[in-house]
Amino acid sequence: MVTFQSVLRIARSAAPAAMLAIVAACGGGGGDGNIDGSGSQYVDANHYSAAPAASLSTPNEATGVTHRTLTLATGTIAYTATAGHLTALDANQAPEASIFYVAYTADGAAAATRPVTFFFNGGPGSASVWLHLGSFAPRRLATGVPDTTQSVPFPYVDNAESLIDTSDLVFVDAVGTGLSEAIAPKTNQAFWGVDKDAAVLRDFIQRWLTVNGRAASPLFVFGESYGTTRVPVLARLLETAGQRVHGVVALSSIVDYNSNCSVSGGTPTLNCAGFLPSYAAVGDFWHVASAGTSDLDADIATVRSYADSTYKPDADAWLASGTLPPADHIASLVAFTGLSAANWQRQFDMNFDTFRHHLLTNTTLGVYDGRMSALVGTPLAADDDPSNTFVEPGFQSEIRALLPELGYTNPSTYVISSNAIATWDFSHAGRALPDVVPDLSAALALDPQMKILFLGGEHDLITPFHQTELDVARLGAGAPVALHFHPGGHMTYLDDHTRPLMKAELAAFYASATGAQ
Amino acid sequence: MRIALLTSMLALATAAGAAPLRDPAQPPSAVRQAAQAQNRVRPASVGATLDAEAEAHLRASFDAADTARHGTLSRDEARAGGFGWIADHFDAIDTRHAGRVSFDDVRRYLKTRAASAAIR
Repeated sequence: MVTFQSVLRIARSAAPAAMLAIVAACGGGGGDGNIDGSGSQYVDANHYSAAPAASLSTPNEATGVTHRTLTLATGTIAYTATAGHLTALDANQAPEASIFYVAYTADGAAAATRPVTFFFNGGPGSASVWLHLGSFAPRRLATGVPDTTQSVPFPYVDNAESLIDTSDLVFVDAVGTGLSEAIAPKTNQAFWGVDKDAAVLRDFIQRWLTVNGRAASPLFVFGESYGTTRVPVLARLLETAGQRVHGVVALSSIVDYNSNCSVSGGTPTLNCAGFLPSYAAVGDFWHVASAGTSDLDADIATVRSYADSTYKPDADAWLASGTLPPADHIASLVAFTGLSAANWQRQFDMNFDTFRHHLLTNTTLGVYDGRMSALVGTPLAADDDPSNTFVEPGFQSEIRALLPELGYTNPSTYVISSNAIATWDFSHAGRALPDVVPDLSAALALDPQMKILFLGGEHDLITPFHQTELDVARLGAGAPVALHFHPGGHMTYLDDHTRPLMKAELAAFYASATGAQ
Repeated sequence: MRIALLTSMLALATAAGAAPLRDPAQPPSAVRQAAQAQNRVRPASVGATLDAEAEAHLRASFDAADTARHGTLSRDEARAGGFGWIADHFDAIDTRHAGRVSFDDVRRYLKTRAASAAIR
């Protein structure tokens, strides 16, 4: 069995002398990202692959390091950005995977009290580029979403809503995404499953905490999308291992694949009532919902209540026997959402694709953000999701430009999306598709102090907020859970009006979870 | 200009052979069908059923740590087997001072602690 010590030897012997010279020569260099010039650069010669059978033989743990400052309303924060790989080790200290991360750590903070947060996007097969470049890091991409007028490259700006004033931030690429790869003899595929993925990320987090002397720091895990399936499992595994988790943040959640009618249903066989308030919010936005008012919160409250009391049993009846409800029920749905009666009569249990293709004539609405639209046949509609087509090129180009700026250079392609989904092992706890509500419950049993925050966008059409409310309600009224939803899409933080609200809610959550309030 | 740039980037994405990833992406059809068949007989858990599913996770971790199949773990075995939480709470769980704890001991400790928290 390969020990970690041998990995270090391999890494050292694999680093050519010429490269070490480059590291030395560039040590004092720095572009505009390196404020005080004391960072270091690392040219990583490894080739990283996201292929299922890929397997890295020469892992290394050298990093690029840069120093910057960020000025917030509360003061100026000096921080260090560290980009590179760290080896996740199994229980026998054997290397499993070389995990790529970018860590933003405030300079001079007390390790025992300074929180550290690990961020994960989802997919499965998505790199952490969305949270890294769009959300709460010290800098972010200014997309102008939901407008689609900002040109690529998006401006990369100081982030007034950065969480760096509250927590150190580590953005992590799962195995077979970004620049993360399994270490021989393991292959990427060996970590492409609900349980295996969470286990190797637990091992990464524990190693990062050990290497950086942060085992006592309040620990938070933050997931988006499939990342909200990932972090409950991760929280349970960390707590089981004896590593306390102070807080779990789930943004745009799918904590039970068995309840999301559009993702798991295909032609729906699952009840879509959890989607109805999001359809109403989107209908409100486009001013086609006749029952809509200027008060989105009030409209949502009305439709949420209707979804639970009336639409849910109506949809159950339609699924069971094809029976449509009385005409006045159809009329209510038309009034709430703006979607025509003919569409409701044809597909009463309404999935997101039918809704977003038919709400407006000859127009495709975004899956991730129903406020974003494109006329059919235009470039923004080419991939049937203007909300993704608009933002992806800007994120793709920025991550490739940013890593060298952070002192980390590598010839491989940073893989934003791998095809892990095609061969992902979704089974979990005896179910073919994961339900991770029991994982949250188990983590809370081990650690009653742990707290959970659910965030999301009211115009997200793929992980609708009311479905999250229904799933989370299973934990019971006394569970230490907070939920906040705002105007926005799946990448809710892209909205310039909503991001400050989320930042304030996160700050309150961290204070509560660390006992600071 | 912007549309031209966007179009060329889309062309690149297409050339790379990757349809844009949807997140969460739809699981393969066979998996969805298997799940739907299961869900008809095993609906989403709440209350005592949810508690039992949560407990099953902990029992699976206990059994994984109990490589010798004793049905009990020492503090060291718990830690070495990945159940560091048991090692960290060992004295409170091992109320009989046996030096070894069973999964029932763990359950009893969790229930006692939950009850005392509820009183507070």
